[in-house]
Amino acid sequence: MISPRLIVAATAMSISFTAFGGGTHGGGHGHGANAGEPGKAGDANRTVSIKMYDNYYEPETIAVNPGETVRFVVQNKGQLVHEFNIGTPDVHEAHQKEMMMMVEHGAIQGGKLNHDMMEMDMGDGQSMKHDDPNSVLLEPGESAEIIWTFSKQGNIEFACNVPGHYQAGMYGDVNFN
Amino acid sequence: MKKTLVAGALSLLIPAIGLAAEYNLTVDRVKIDTGEFVKEGVGYNGKSPGPVLRFKEGEEVSINVTNNLDEMTSIHWHGLILPFEQDGVPGISFPGIKPGETFTYKFPITQSGTYWFHSHSGFQEPEGAFGSIIIEPEGREPFRYDREYVVQLTDKHPHSSERVMRNLKVTPDYYNRKQQTVGEFFSDASENGFLSTVKERLAWGGMRMMQADVEDLQGFTGMINGKSPKQNWTGIFEPGERIRLRFINSSAMTYFDIRIPGLEMTVVQADGNNVQPVNVDEFRIGVAETYDVIVRPKDEQAYTIFAESKGRSGYARATLATEEGMEAAVPELREPARLTMADMGGMSGMDHGDMPGMDHGDMAENDEMAGMDHSNMANMDHGSMAMPEAGPSDPFYAEGSGLVPTAANGGKFLSYADLKAQKPLYEQREPAREIELRLTGNMERYTWSINGVKYEDADPIRLKYGERVRFKFVNETMMTHPMHLHGMWSILDVGAGQWNPVKHTVSVQPGTTVYMETEVDASGQWAFHCHLTYHMAAGMFRKVIVEGGPESTQAASSEQSSNAGGDV
Repeated sequence: MISPRLIVAATAMSISFTAFGGGTHGGGHGHGANAGEPGKAGDANRTVSIKMYDNYYEPETIAVNPGETVRFVVQNKGQLVHEFNIGTPDVHEAHQKEMMMMVEHGAIQGGKLNHDMMEMDMGDGQSMKHDDPNSVLLEPGESAEIIWTFSKQGNIEFACNVPGHYQAGMYGDVNFN
Repeated sequence: MKKTLVAGALSLLIPAIGLAAEYNLTVDRVKIDTGEFVKEGVGYNGKSPGPVLRFKEGEEVSINVTNNLDEMTSIHWHGLILPFEQDGVPGISFPGIKPGETFTYKFPITQSGTYWFHSHSGFQEPEGAFGSIIIEPEGREPFRYDREYVVQLTDKHPHSSERVMRNLKVTPDYYNRKQQTVGEFFSDASENGFLSTVKERLAWGGMRMMQADVEDLQGFTGMINGKSPKQNWTGIFEPGERIRLRFINSSAMTYFDIRIPGLEMTVVQADGNNVQPVNVDEFRIGVAETYDVIVRPKDEQAYTIFAESKGRSGYARATLATEEGMEAAVPELREPARLTMADMGGMSGMDHGDMPGMDHGDMAENDEMAGMDHSNMANMDHGSMAMPEAGPSDPFYAEGSGLVPTAANGGKFLSYADLKAQKPLYEQREPAREIELRLTGNMERYTWSINGVKYEDADPIRLKYGERVRFKFVNETMMTHPMHLHGMWSILDVGAGQWNPVKHTVSVQPGTTVYMETEVDASGQWAFHCHLTYHMAAGMFRKVIVEGGPESTQAASSEQSSNAGGDV
């Protein structure tokens, strides 16, 4: 009764992760090209502080120059788990399905991340690890850095794709000067 | 010494004056036009529904209510936390407002969110005496939107409420058209065997309930913001905008299942309190509940807001469109849900101690009746009962219930179990005691009660200021009861500890046990009742008295203020 359901879920996950893999790892394929690519610390001449609250960012817009590399210092000041993810709206939408799965499997539980669950082998070499260079997923009180190069102009948002958060308005606009 | 006191008093007064706001409401006889029938009713400022009252958290409001009726009236501010004398329940908070009289309500606004107001006198509320309240928070909201609309639902019946009540008393199934027919009996008999079908029918009869009792009032027209499905209330948007819809169910008796085909809805608030956002395709709104959702239509087209009654006997309909006059397809009504034997799990003679609600996790999946004490059920043969196998499940419905709602598109249907507070309102602590409230009734005589005793014959429930109490609702009837405690929050136990959502109205499904906790932080006396109009009128109602607390001195402070200085 139960095992067929699990297989279905695992299959769905690997499909979605595979689809996502192509989309966000920067470097010139898929949608990732529009959002930019991981930057080198030495190229960043500016630090932008992003504070994550329940459920919104401060600030909600940032302005960058095409080609600029920015160091983001992201702090979770809320009581819930939040993400800071740089991408196009389409990429965010695809990623939201994965995050939904993380919630369904207990990898994200309100204010906590279950790291063991995220490491778990889901088959086909897939896991729910959240280690893409364009995003960080933080528990309350945690902070992290992302160095990102906005290679060229595009429709880019930073967003929290924890289920419901983006829809409720936890996103910000990247405006190009 | 006196001088400083005066200065102190003045400094207290100044911010209050700065934020004071005055509102005027008249209570009037109105005509309500559904497009199918026109009915005399009661409204505010000449209309039903009445106006949207917009308050700001932190302000002190004065609301002048002028009674233009030839009978007593009152206004209850549903879900608002305020001194009990301002709560508007005749006989509990105050005597009521006489014909021709103007009564001024005065209270501070200490919360934010979507609420509503309605008469608490006679049947004025089902006759149209309600409106909506929007309270803007002091700080920013934990979500964003470009536009907002109130979507206030009601179930307008062509009969007057007094006539409905009379008919229900004489013939409880007067408005229930979905009774099982002789034909269905024979088809059940051929599927399940004659004997088991007869036994099952006898069992239903023994409970003085009818299997199709999902709704006890049918024949209404569903209305949204005063418009019938034909009149089609329309909210305008620009593609790509986020729209906050503030759903309020002001129905007398009707639960609605709400969906907007083509749009996902993100639930961000329930009963005025923010919840952690949940994406859903459909949700059920109980009588007196409110849900705020955010939708984001990206295309330049019309979308139908479709609100089907729980028993599928009627619907309300409205439209979101980029231009007035645009329409989208209106779905067909789905097949009505049917109660199963599991939905009477709470009926007397069964041990419901470990029934559903929260703790059936250990029940065997295919044995829906597990957890009941079969030994007390003398004349029922469980083995031969027809039970739906592996139907949809929801921890807030009886295991094996025929009432569990599912989304029309096969997607996500909101459950109470999905509601988590966005920010806990109270520190988590153990309740001092538990109070069991059995929700009871006799469908054949249309009597509704709590612990088998109707309001007139009951002692008040006494609570102590400062305690936290746990209420255990045991629904022994086959109707859903939206239980509403005035004056204090109902912290619904969804098993999420400090993240349990805070509500003002808690629906208890047939055959289930539901727990809620209350921080007793408001002294005075309050109403506590089922919000179904005719159940409340029949006696499913209690007075709650909160003993002690600072308010007992504060209540008298207006008379004492002039000599307060002398005591210091």
